[in-house]
Amino acid sequence: MRNVLLKIKQYSIYIYSQKDKFWLIVWLGILAITFIWNILFLNKPALRLIIDGFLNTLYISILVVIFSFILGWIIGLVVVRFESSPFQLPYFLLTFVLNLIRSIPQIVGILIGYIGITYLITANIVNNAWLIMTTMALVISLFIFNEVIDLIRERINHFKKLDFYNAMKVCGISENRIINFDILWKNSRIHILNKLIAIFGSAIFLQCTIDFIVSVGLSTQVSAVSLPTTLGSLLAKIDSKQDILAIGNTLMNPSYFSHIFFEHLQGVTVAFLIVFTLLSVYKISNGFSERNRL
Amino acid sequence: MTFKKKLIEHLLSLILITSLLGTFLYFTIENKNIQNTQKNERIEPYLGLSFIDFDNPFDRALLLDVLNTYKPGQQSAHESLIKTIEQYRKTNLIEGMEEAYRKEQLSSKKWQQLSMMYAKFILIYIFVMILTYYGVQTFGILRFIRKQQNRKSHLLSFFQQLVTKPKYKRFKDYLNYYLQTILHLLKSIVIALAYFILFAPAYVIAYSLKTQLNTNTIFFMIILAVISNGLLITYTNKFYTFLVTESRKGYVQTAIVKNLNMSYKRTQKSAINYASIFNVRKHFPMHVFQHIYINARYQYLQTIKEQASFLISGLIIIEMALNIQGHFSYELLKQLLYKNYDIVTVIILGIFYIVKLTEIFTDWLTYKESIKYENVEPVGAK
Repeated sequence: MRNVLLKIKQYSIYIYSQKDKFWLIVWLGILAITFIWNILFLNKPALRLIIDGFLNTLYISILVVIFSFILGWIIGLVVVRFESSPFQLPYFLLTFVLNLIRSIPQIVGILIGYIGITYLITANIVNNAWLIMTTMALVISLFIFNEVIDLIRERINHFKKLDFYNAMKVCGISENRIINFDILWKNSRIHILNKLIAIFGSAIFLQCTIDFIVSVGLSTQVSAVSLPTTLGSLLAKIDSKQDILAIGNTLMNPSYFSHIFFEHLQGVTVAFLIVFTLLSVYKISNGFSERNRL
Repeated sequence: MTFKKKLIEHLLSLILITSLLGTFLYFTIENKNIQNTQKNERIEPYLGLSFIDFDNPFDRALLLDVLNTYKPGQQSAHESLIKTIEQYRKTNLIEGMEEAYRKEQLSSKKWQQLSMMYAKFILIYIFVMILTYYGVQTFGILRFIRKQQNRKSHLLSFFQQLVTKPKYKRFKDYLNYYLQTILHLLKSIVIALAYFILFAPAYVIAYSLKTQLNTNTIFFMIILAVISNGLLITYTNKFYTFLVTESRKGYVQTAIVKNLNMSYKRTQKSAINYASIFNVRKHFPMHVFQHIYINARYQYLQTIKEQASFLISGLIIIEMALNIQGHFSYELLKQLLYKNYDIVTVIILGIFYIVKLTEIFTDWLTYKESIKYENVEPVGAK
């Protein structure tokens, strides 16, 4: 028994020293506790909604990461290729367009993208929930993928200055292989992974926010188009909002605190899931870069 | 890329977007006018007849007779015309009542309203930018110094003190020990709460305080924009990373070998004290950290463009999500919903100008700093 305890202690110290893994465990653990608590105290339809909202949010955010990665990698390589070409016009045009996208605040760009999505839905071009969510992910990734391009360009330019790049070229290795395999895969995948973790956090934030704005932005109007349930749209529901208002009530009336976790569970759970996920992703990303000394 | 080249690129994008959106604006306004005239083209001449009261059946019958007399053989066409006029007046009345508050034009009154909102938006933006610029550096330095002091987390200290069995003789020492343990726990709870607030989207904080505070004031908006949406914590972390990267560089090691002060103990006489950390103009004389700080700040300047875009997104989120009427971004959302695309275009153009001007300002600032540290030739110098 003593040995088991000692092993648990040693393992805990090991996990605690690797902050990314520690926070991943904390995140999953707290999610599990929240889930069990909700099974015990929340009504079935509301629980179903929360599970759907959370899974849809995760699905969209993971897709944003994948799309940003693919777009960032491909366009990043094209920019690098144009940059080293003697004919500079394509390079200038492409960076100009990328900088223009950068100058549009993400939330405005995504909001305009959502208008396009609602048009596609009303015109019956996109009607499947999965397809709608994929389109939402694509729109969000259009305003995030610039971060991947910046990283890819920075890594390639850094390695191009080193001797090994020219040495490999002299050895007859193709430039494509040097960039894609030796620079990006072998020497930069940790950096890219770290960026993708951060993008995952941004995607959750942007997606929840835009869904909240679309659902609640104008309280007098009811949206004619129904988008898939996400944490953002769930938070915008009137009962969730009342639950959140109850938190403020607790500040003036502390004895009400215990009611929050039983009577206002839906809204509090949704708000908690959003905030705690954002916090955990930030901690995981920080821990990851600290462990790998990025 | 030199500042001149960057400036040209910025100006080009300003011209391009202004002309693109300007063209769109022109066509939207034209389209609106065409739609209005097309709708009325057939019946417009009759609607203008002031001596005919279309509500009066006698007047309508009189008009029909007149038309039949002047243009004989088109009786059915004239009857249909009178019906169309009746229908048009009916729909126009209902639509007019329904959409009186929806359909808006870019009139001089609207321009005036938009200008006021824009000025308010810029003012809030500048305030938040200054506050975050200060906050990011101050909290980044605090975190860096804590790390250099090898301070343990309060939660870890709490658990360690809880598990360890102290051996004291006096009861007072035991009391002190456990009070300190509780203090660690309280501090960790406060830090956890602070983290939750810093990461919470603005609408979560605002809704939870809506019953207690007036969340529609400019002051509340500024505070919310600084602390929420992860803005402060994200850029504090970025600044902290710059400090850590700089502290690992060779020149720092050389400075330490050359006996420059490197102690991070916080005493009153030390260069690293609260007064210097919280000062607006941060200065750490004769300490190696002064150089780490200057170089980290230089790198941070280059991220302000990104921060500005993030900040504007945050402000838009606050105004839109909280339905703060009479504000620039709420107006954008409202006009999008009412499909007044000419007003939407003007608002988007306004936001774009703020971002671009911030980018130009940041590039100029970075360029100024470069002249100081990298011996870059000033523009126009031969």
